[in-house]
Amino acid sequence: MAVKIQTLSLTDRIGARTVAGLMALVIGSILVFGVGLANSQTLHDAAHDTRHSYGFPCH
Amino acid sequence: MIVRLLLAALAAGLIAGMAMTPAQYVKTIPLIMQAEAYEGGGHDHGAVESTSSSVDAGTGVAQGADARAAHDRGDDSMLGLGRLGDTVLANLVAGAGFALILAAVALIAGIEFPAGRDGLIRGLVLGAGAWFCVQLAPSFSLPPAVPGFPYADLGDRQGWWMITVGLSAIGLWLLALRPEWIARALGVALIVAPHIWGAPVPEDLSSEVPAYLASAYAAASLATTLFFWLLLGGLLGHFLSRVPEEQAA
Repeated sequence: MAVKIQTLSLTDRIGARTVAGLMALVIGSILVFGVGLANSQTLHDAAHDTRHSYGFPCH
Repeated sequence: MIVRLLLAALAAGLIAGMAMTPAQYVKTIPLIMQAEAYEGGGHDHGAVESTSSSVDAGTGVAQGADARAAHDRGDDSMLGLGRLGDTVLANLVAGAGFALILAAVALIAGIEFPAGRDGLIRGLVLGAGAWFCVQLAPSFSLPPAVPGFPYADLGDRQGWWMITVGLSAIGLWLLALRPEWIARALGVALIVAPHIWGAPVPEDLSSEVPAYLASAYAAASLATTLFFWLLLGGLLGHFLSRVPEEQAA
């Protein structure tokens, strides 16, 4: 019984890590795209120095 | 647990992003401002942008004109925060975004962060790997450039940049974390491939920006981002090692 509980909690843990990883990937990609790559004049001008400093293609 | 993992990544990203602004004001932004004096033969930034955005659509012209008007007023800010405020905000968002992606890679690839010194060192190694993929590998063929440099088409360069970062990340993972020699060889091939294909390069390479500024800028950009990624990786390793394993979401 004890072994079974341990196995379940391990599976849950791996599942939670993967779910958290996928969520982080989606949110992080949106943020980085907005700061570094989005083709919006307002975003470009606000993030101009950051884009250049990180070596994002700019202008 | 999911929320705590995301919050750990977010905290690391916001701290590293906050630290990036002073680093940029010491190393890169003075060079950007010097280079802007040469940009387009002395035009301001908005004037250059308006010509490029007018190609896209009618709204592009209006936006470009707005940007030029903002420059005429001597107001560099689009969000009303001033140039420094905009950069602080952009660095915080970039820090949070990069931290979430880095955490995602660690979580999906199954990289564990043991408590204490080992977790910190793994985080630093992960940060160094990310610096290689996001900064160093693209800069082999598309070096960090100051304003006023000759540029190839923006969309082409952004596409090449995203593909290179992605291939370098997959390549580095194969090279570092897979035991099979064929996987490692494939990793090297993926890292090298975008450079053999070649980055978009402008036809006319002449520029009014002094060469000294350009070379100092490339070194400054790589140095400040190395600082950022090592700080981010170290913090991420430390924070993720402190997320309790048994806690439910």
